[in-house]
Amino acid sequence: MEKDFRFVRAKGKVLMLGNEALVRGCLEAGVSYVSQYPGTPTSDIGEYFHQVLNQNSEMKEYLIHQWAVNEAVATSACAGAAWTGCRSLNPMKHVGLNVASDALSVIALNGPNPGGMVISVGSDPGSLGSHQEQNERFYAWMLHIPTIEPHTPQECKDWIKIAFNLSEQYDLIINLRTSTRSAHSRGFVELEPLQKGKAKGEFVRNIPKFNSLPPHAINNHIRLYERIEKLRLDIPKLKLNKEFPGDNKIGVITSGIPFGYTVEALNQLNLNNVPILKLGMIYPLNDREIVHFIQNLEKVIIIEELEPFLESKIAEIAHNNKLNVEITGQKYFPKYNEYSSGLITTRLAEIFEKKPNETINRAIEYFNSYKEIIPSRFPTFCAGCPERATLYSILKATNHLENSVICGDIGCYVMSFFPPQQCSDLIICMSGGLSAAIGMSEKTDQKILAMIGDSTFFHTGMAPLAEAVGYNSNILLIIFENSWTAMTGHQNDVLRYLINQGFSIERICKAIGVPWLKIEDSYKPKRLTKTIEEALRTKGLKVIIVKRECGLQAHRWRTSQIRELKAKGEKIQETIYHITGCQLCHECSRILSCPAIRRVEVDGIETMQIDEDRCIRCGVCYEICPNKAIHKSIINAFETEVPFREI
Amino acid sequence: MKFNDTDIVNVVIAGTAGQGVITLKRLIEFAAQRTGAERILGAEHHGLAQREGAITSHTRYQRKLSENERKNIQSPLISYGDADLYICMEPVEALRQGIFASKKTTFTLNSHTIPGVMITAALEEYPSLKRIEEILMKYSEEVYFLNATELSLNYFNSNQYINIMMLGFAIITEKLPFIEIKFYEEVIKQWLRDPDKNIKALHIGIEEGKRIIKTLK
Repeated sequence: MEKDFRFVRAKGKVLMLGNEALVRGCLEAGVSYVSQYPGTPTSDIGEYFHQVLNQNSEMKEYLIHQWAVNEAVATSACAGAAWTGCRSLNPMKHVGLNVASDALSVIALNGPNPGGMVISVGSDPGSLGSHQEQNERFYAWMLHIPTIEPHTPQECKDWIKIAFNLSEQYDLIINLRTSTRSAHSRGFVELEPLQKGKAKGEFVRNIPKFNSLPPHAINNHIRLYERIEKLRLDIPKLKLNKEFPGDNKIGVITSGIPFGYTVEALNQLNLNNVPILKLGMIYPLNDREIVHFIQNLEKVIIIEELEPFLESKIAEIAHNNKLNVEITGQKYFPKYNEYSSGLITTRLAEIFEKKPNETINRAIEYFNSYKEIIPSRFPTFCAGCPERATLYSILKATNHLENSVICGDIGCYVMSFFPPQQCSDLIICMSGGLSAAIGMSEKTDQKILAMIGDSTFFHTGMAPLAEAVGYNSNILLIIFENSWTAMTGHQNDVLRYLINQGFSIERICKAIGVPWLKIEDSYKPKRLTKTIEEALRTKGLKVIIVKRECGLQAHRWRTSQIRELKAKGEKIQETIYHITGCQLCHECSRILSCPAIRRVEVDGIETMQIDEDRCIRCGVCYEICPNKAIHKSIINAFETEVPFREI
Repeated sequence: MKFNDTDIVNVVIAGTAGQGVITLKRLIEFAAQRTGAERILGAEHHGLAQREGAITSHTRYQRKLSENERKNIQSPLISYGDADLYICMEPVEALRQGIFASKKTTFTLNSHTIPGVMITAALEEYPSLKRIEEILMKYSEEVYFLNATELSLNYFNSNQYINIMMLGFAIITEKLPFIEIKFYEEVIKQWLRDPDKNIKALHIGIEEGKRIIKTLK
């Protein structure tokens, strides 16, 4: 594998993902500080920055990327860097914006000058990698954050540069808003030269600007309107919005990824005479530009995913300018889920009274005729996952959740609710499970369990834990300490730095004053089950820290150790688990549900089998099999044993 | 089917986590770039890479752009029924992504099945390969199976080469037009670990394709 030159070449045309292009754009714009909490579809932005810094160490002189402990910290950190005169980037997923909004609402008033600050919110219509979908574009209006929506990787790169220029020029935070589709689609990008960022800046005291309390809060609000109105007038000069002319009396206004679907849908319906206005900047809008496009039309269809943001703003402009044109869109298109060319073609055929596209109709109809037989394949815990093993113990200790409520949370364990384990009753947001448990435990005598992972614990989990200690809430909190931010892809984040510096969740719990605390191992399911049973018999707050490294990382580490030792000529002890005499009780497949176990037919007889390639040798199934049908063989019993590492 | 220079080539790649769906998509795109394709756009599925989930990616390329921009690729996703080719690392994943298929579609499938946890738990049933083939045959006659998993294990003692073998197999369908085999070899050398083994896997796939697809055609 060669070094990835796409991020550092001075010129040329390369293939890049939207997020890769966004990073390239930052390098061309002289960005020197990036802070973010990982979350799909923006996690990989940080991974590319890390790759670039690792492969080009000279950039470390001026460019810093930090994984923040949560989004609000990241946002304020970026403001801090911008206020020394640097350019800072703050990527986050759509729900991250909810966490960051408290900080953003004030920073937007202050303004990022003397530096520039761009946030990049990755939206997720269709919840492709999230626990909800939301149209966070309304924040643009509420907090006055000008928002730019790229459609292609080229636009991701070019427009983030424009975003930084605007941020500095108008003293505004700019949002380069992507979606899962624009962030993760690959296309050509024409490169421009890189620009070095500022290694050091300086903070210059300016009490009215940076202290938004009365009277400065009001003055900054007034100043914010002046800044946004100045930008609004300049929008046509930016060339972010583009008109595609046509002589049809019905026109379309759209932006970002839906623009692509729309153009292809119109082409499929032979409607290439429909005028289109593609908005690059969706907030603010320039009245004159919008009026120019809509004034001679009878009807304007707004095509945007999720709630009608553009539609309401454009209808307002039409109303204020007394234009007799119908502004519509939400009447025809769903306000949920992501769009597709197929969906838009179907709806546009109705609007334009065209014959429906036969290929599309047949594709939908035939697919619907057989889709029932497609077996489900939802995401689940990896083979050997310690969280899965803990869920097994919870199910056993509570007699399959009898009279119990499991307050779930965000992390890999968000998948707990999937069958067959179905071991999560609710999910709210980062650390919302423990918080909900506090209220619930006051109002029901059911057994209340809450789950949280170590990264979520640091994100926002310590605050509700302190509250639960304060009121001695009758809750069992299970902390999955696996030492990684696993769900988003094991980033080398602040958790890793903390671990290297010897932090301990156990000590934190003791310091906060947790009255009942136990440390357990998920790979000892019978013992863990007993401890959970004991906890559930005890009144007040109980915390069990389940300490076991993420199975994926533990397996990677152990395999590499074995490889190294073997290369040195050492013989290694090997463990193999296998099944004979299976009674098909389904303890391992329904209650533990490890994907390394498969149901097969051997000589016409149904049995379970362990897939040696996938089994990481955690030994949990071996311990729990009620019929002793899972056997353990040790090869080279007297040679070097390589156990999983302690965390 | 013969592709014209301005035609859009639409490929659906499907499989399960860890089967190299995204890697394969990127290789096709980087190889298409070397043919001088004027536009390439494709959507990847990130975020749940190692969680046993269903993974799909779309890739689309166009050798020459039309003068009318509205006739060119604008979306990274394929429209319903518009796929020319399916490359599936797992057979039932072809059905899951079936909405993009129509009578013009050619299917190439790895015949090795990966049942999910609900199948193992005997709470759902996996349809037989015959049933999957019957359903796909109603789209088009061009449905081709290869046990790439078995071949990968036999040749390399590893299941890491399924995707590249399936690529070699798919090349023979002629639904990846304009891209010469040497371009795939070049991008494999540039982007993959163990390029020699991967190039060997590519050619094993090609030979199997000649044996299976050419005979059936």
